[in-house]
Amino acid sequence: MLILDAIFIGLLEASPLILAAMGFTLIYYLNGFMNIAYAESITFGAYFAILFNVVLGANFYMAIVPSMLCSGALSVAVYLLIFRPALNRGVGPTEMIILSVGVSFMLRYGLILVVGPENLFLNEPNITYLQFLGIGATNLQLIALALVLLTAGILYWMIYNTGLGEQMRGLANNRELAMASGINPHRTSVAIWFIAGCAGGLSGIFTGVFAQVAPYMGWNVILITMLVTIVAGVGSVRGAVVAAVVAGILTAFITLVTKPLYAEVVLLTAFIGVLTIRGARTA
Amino acid sequence: MDYLIFSFSLMLVYIGLAQLLHIQFGLAGIPNFGVVGFWGIGLYGTGVLYVVFGVALLPAILIASALSAIIGYLLALLVLQRSGQAILAATLALSAIIATLVVSEKDLTGGVQGLGTIKFPFGDMANRNFVFMIFILVVVLALVWVSARLRDSRMGRQLVAIRDNEELAASLGKNTAATKRWVFAITCGGMGILGGMSAPLHQFLVPYQLAPSITFAVWIALVLGGKGHNLGAIVGTFVTFGLFDILIETYAPVPAEQAILLPNFKLFCYGVLLVVIIMFRPIGLLGTDGPKVRQPAAKGAET
Repeated sequence: MLILDAIFIGLLEASPLILAAMGFTLIYYLNGFMNIAYAESITFGAYFAILFNVVLGANFYMAIVPSMLCSGALSVAVYLLIFRPALNRGVGPTEMIILSVGVSFMLRYGLILVVGPENLFLNEPNITYLQFLGIGATNLQLIALALVLLTAGILYWMIYNTGLGEQMRGLANNRELAMASGINPHRTSVAIWFIAGCAGGLSGIFTGVFAQVAPYMGWNVILITMLVTIVAGVGSVRGAVVAAVVAGILTAFITLVTKPLYAEVVLLTAFIGVLTIRGARTA
Repeated sequence: MDYLIFSFSLMLVYIGLAQLLHIQFGLAGIPNFGVVGFWGIGLYGTGVLYVVFGVALLPAILIASALSAIIGYLLALLVLQRSGQAILAATLALSAIIATLVVSEKDLTGGVQGLGTIKFPFGDMANRNFVFMIFILVVVLALVWVSARLRDSRMGRQLVAIRDNEELAASLGKNTAATKRWVFAITCGGMGILGGMSAPLHQFLVPYQLAPSITFAVWIALVLGGKGHNLGAIVGTFVTFGLFDILIETYAPVPAEQAILLPNFKLFCYGVLLVVIIMFRPIGLLGTDGPKVRQPAAKGAET
C-alpha cells in the first residue's frame, strides 16, 4: 500500500515537474545552455493565471489557456531581446548561464516591484474529494494530472513525430547542415521558445493552484528541474519525463518513510551520484 | 557607527569570497555555484562548535574550514572532471543540501529557531567589532596578495592552461585532475574561513542566511568587476555591495513605505547590470590582466 501511495502521490507531485523539465530540456537542447530564467516562465504562468482568474474574474479552467499563451509570449520576448543577441555575439555556455541568472533576477524582482512580495491565491473551482481503491484525490488533482499527461503527450509527439521536432533536432545537432537543408533557424527557435514557455507556464499554474502563487515559486523548482534535465541527458525529452517521474515518486516515498526534509537531501545526493557516474551526457 | 562597521566587515567577506571565486572560475575555470554552501559550512560549523561544544572561536573557525575543504575535496573527486554545467549543478545541489541539513538537524543547529550567540573574540576590548574588522581586512588582503602571486606562479599558469585546454595541459604531463581538486579544496576551505569569520558578525545564525542569494551576489560582483582580473573582485563588490547595501541603504532618503521594496529594487538592478555587462563587456569592467611577462612578438604574428 505504501508503494502504491508513493507512486500516486509521486505522480501528482511530479506532474508540474514533468512539464517544467520538458520545456527546460527543449531550450537546453536547441541552444546548448541551461536557461535559469526558465524559472520565471513558471512563475509568470502562475501570475498570468492570477491576472485572468482573480483580477479579471474568469473561471479557473478558462484562465489556463490564455495564461499559458502569455507565458509563451514572454519567453519568446526574452529570447528575441536578450538571448538571441547574446548567442549571436558568441557568449560561451557558462556565461550564458550567468546571463540567464541576470535575466531571472530582472524579471523576478521587476515582478515583485510591480505586484508586491505577498503570496496570492487562485480562485479554485469547487473541489470534490474522490476515493478509489483506498487512494484519495480531489477532482482538481485528477484533472491536473490528466491535463499534464495530455500536454506532455502532445509535446512528446511534436518532438519525435512532426516537422518542427525534426527541424529542432537538426538545428541542435548540426546548425550549418540544418540551415543548408533549408531550415529557418529563426522561426524554429521562436517556436521552440514559445512552446517551452507555455509548458513552463502550465507547470506554474498547477503548482500555484495546489499551494499559493509566490514570486519564488519558479526559483524553488528550477534546481530540481535542472538536475532532472542533466541526469536525463541533454535533449532527451523521453529521459526528462522518466527522470521527473522517478524524482517525484522517490520524493513521495522517502517523505512517507521519514521526514520530508530528508527526501530533499537524499534526492540531491542521488543526483550528484548520477552526475558522477554519467556526467552531463549529450544526447 | 556599529552598523557601518558591520556593513564594511560583511563587504570584506564578500570581497574575499569573490576573490576565491576568481581563483576557482577566473583562473581554473571551475564554475562553483555553491559558494554559499562552503561559506555556510564554515559559518554553521563554527557556530555549532562554539555554542554546542564550547570550542574557542579561532580553533572553531579552523576546524570548520578544514571540514569545508574536505567536503570540497570530496565533491571535487565526484564531479570535477565532468562538464562545466554538471559541476555547476552539483555545487548548487551541495549548497541546497547544506541549507536543508541546517534546518533538519535541529539538535545541533537549532533549526529555524536559530543558533546563538557567537561573541567577538578579544574579550572585553571596547572596539572589538572594529578590531575584528581589521582582522578580516588583513585576511582578505592576504588573500588578494596570494591570488596575485598565484597567477604569476607555475601553479597559476598550469591553472590557466587547464582552463583554456585541459587535454593539452594533460598531454604536457601535468596531472590536471589532481591540481584542480587541490585548488578547489583549498579555495573552498578559504570560503569556510570567511564563513567562520562571519559567525561573530551575525552573532545569531538562522538558516535564512544560507539562501543562494549570497552565491549570486558574489558571482555578480565577480563578473561585473572582471573575472580574469585580480582586482575584479574588489571593484565588483564595491560597485554592487558597496554602492547598494552601504551607500543607498544607509544614506538615500527613501520614504518608509518604499523602504521594504529597496532590497528587491537592488536585486532588480543587479539583474540589469549583469545582463548589460555580459552583452556589452563580457570580460568585466577591468578586463583581464595576463601574467606579467613581456614576450617579444613572434615574427608575422597577427596583432
